[in-house]
Amino acid sequence: MTAGVVIIGMGNPLLSDDGVGIAVARAVAERLRHLDDLALLELHTGGIRLMEAMAGYGRAVVVDAMLSGAPAGTVKRFDAMDFVTTKNTFSSHDTDFATAYDLGRMAGVPLPEQVSFWGIEALEFDLFGERFSDEVAAALPDAVNRIAGEIVNGRAA
Amino acid sequence: MTTRITIDPITRLEGHGRIDIFLNDQGKVENACFQIPELRGFEQFCVGRMAEEMPVITNRICGVCPEAHHLAATKALDGVFGAEPTPVARKLRELLYMAFFVTDHTTHFYALGGPDFIVGPDAPPSERNILGVARKVGLDVAGEVIACRKRNHEIITFLGGKSIHPVAGIPGGWSRPITEEERAQIEDAARRNIEFARFSLTVFDNIVLKNPAYLEMITSDTYLHRTYSMGTVDANNQSNFYDGLIRVLDPEGNEFAKYHPSEYLEHIAERVEPWTYLKYPYLKKVGWQGLTDGVGSGIYTATPLSRLNVSEGMATPLANAEYQRMYEAFGCKKLTEARYQPIHHRMATHWARLIELLYAAEHMLELALDPEITSPETRNIPDPALFVGEGVGSVEAPRGTLTHHYSTDARGVLTRVNMIVGTTNNYAPISMSIRRAAEKLITGNAPEESILNRIEMAFRLYDPCFSCATHFLPGKMPLTVALRDSSGELLREMRRKG
Repeated sequence: MTAGVVIIGMGNPLLSDDGVGIAVARAVAERLRHLDDLALLELHTGGIRLMEAMAGYGRAVVVDAMLSGAPAGTVKRFDAMDFVTTKNTFSSHDTDFATAYDLGRMAGVPLPEQVSFWGIEALEFDLFGERFSDEVAAALPDAVNRIAGEIVNGRAA
Repeated sequence: MTTRITIDPITRLEGHGRIDIFLNDQGKVENACFQIPELRGFEQFCVGRMAEEMPVITNRICGVCPEAHHLAATKALDGVFGAEPTPVARKLRELLYMAFFVTDHTTHFYALGGPDFIVGPDAPPSERNILGVARKVGLDVAGEVIACRKRNHEIITFLGGKSIHPVAGIPGGWSRPITEEERAQIEDAARRNIEFARFSLTVFDNIVLKNPAYLEMITSDTYLHRTYSMGTVDANNQSNFYDGLIRVLDPEGNEFAKYHPSEYLEHIAERVEPWTYLKYPYLKKVGWQGLTDGVGSGIYTATPLSRLNVSEGMATPLANAEYQRMYEAFGCKKLTEARYQPIHHRMATHWARLIELLYAAEHMLELALDPEITSPETRNIPDPALFVGEGVGSVEAPRGTLTHHYSTDARGVLTRVNMIVGTTNNYAPISMSIRRAAEKLITGNAPEESILNRIEMAFRLYDPCFSCATHFLPGKMPLTVALRDSSGELLREMRRKG
């Protein structure tokens, strides 16, 4: 088991704003490339897959698009305790993340104690395309700063 | 006046799917459908790109079955470039696909379909999940499910060249051979898969079939629809997930059609109904009669159960024995030496899925033991003289027949893209099953919770996939049924927390 940090970008990079989690995760990993215990992963679907992806790490930071009704581009951090779901952290084919996490624990999977979730409010999420809406594109730098800050400082910036 | 009942969203399936139930003037259920958000702009996104990008683009359409899209796209490219894959390339594609089927069917049984049976249809939703299954079957099963996924994902990753979204499929072949060491790993995983599949069938036997209440749920007529059955078959008319001809049987079990996947447009048409934007596929040569079953209605089903219905037994011995056991348990008569009258009880789809799981595991072992499987001859380089410019690729996705159809110009640039995805085939039967469950909502006296779950169970047995759909925050994925009159006024609302 490594004690490192994994940043997991979630979403579909071909589906407009749905790809924002992946873009942010890539940018954070690029900014923090001097950290040798930081790993970057990309996932399209959550649930059990997401639980499996963070196995073996000491900390996990998950970044995803969300559809909460907030203004497009809103960046929000969720604690594991009050987290329900963002757009892709559940799986239509199995379960939500919380159940998957409990399943992993039950099965003895070495899971991180610390998991945080970041959601970026999407505007265009059902249109194929590789561009973000203006609002989401404008939110990217702030999201990257805050998440990179959390990883470096060990807590939310 | 039409009354509409809306259920939104559906737990254990992603949130944006919504069920609408329409009542007639007498207050009886007339129609039911589910609404799922449609992704827009896929064709425009693809047209103008090089066709060979499709296997890596389409595998991103869906996070649940990227392997199915990857293979359907690769096969469509074989057609576009006029390049037959080499024998070992076919086998490597099929090997990846068997590993995928094992993980997909396993996950469905333990996480989605199984909870209704193993934990019980009337258990609280908070317990009716994979954790509840583990508590009932034994905590070890959680580890077994995770281990099964892990060993097969490892194989999919090295066979497909990349984790999650495979990249190895190319026109005329597969981009890499496997080593003897990798072959041995696959063989070992396949043997474990067979044991796990047999264990899963035993669980089903002990907990479901030996429980009179659950057996009644499977064999009752609540979800009985006598539709046509569809599935892909090999030269022996046995079910094959990767390749073959599409075989369609009528509800009595007579062969109605058998055609090459490239002829799909001659056989399948889509019906638009005024009360939903869903397009219902149906058999063109039978015709559309509305949401009704029987020989005169062109509604067909493409699921694990329909695949078994069209198959002359299973191609592997253990799965074949289970196949016989299932049909005999339903009292089906043999129609041929190996095949029985079709089963139309939709809850048996869960059983059929486990039989397919066993078949996939056994076939994976056969492929791993094939002396040719480590051959380096994984590709036929396409010959420009044989370029076709059009191709149809079809596979059986876990949730139904998946068809990709591409047309290109002379340079191989895409000019047209069409697809029928697995779940789409089953829109009409899913709607029929929901309607049947909803009838009890209106006429019966069962508790709301139990009826709501039975509507969801109607969905789940088809293993539909709308991985594009969305969830909303905050909230805990509640299930809401709203009964409204035609002016939108709320007559009755039922709600439960997720």
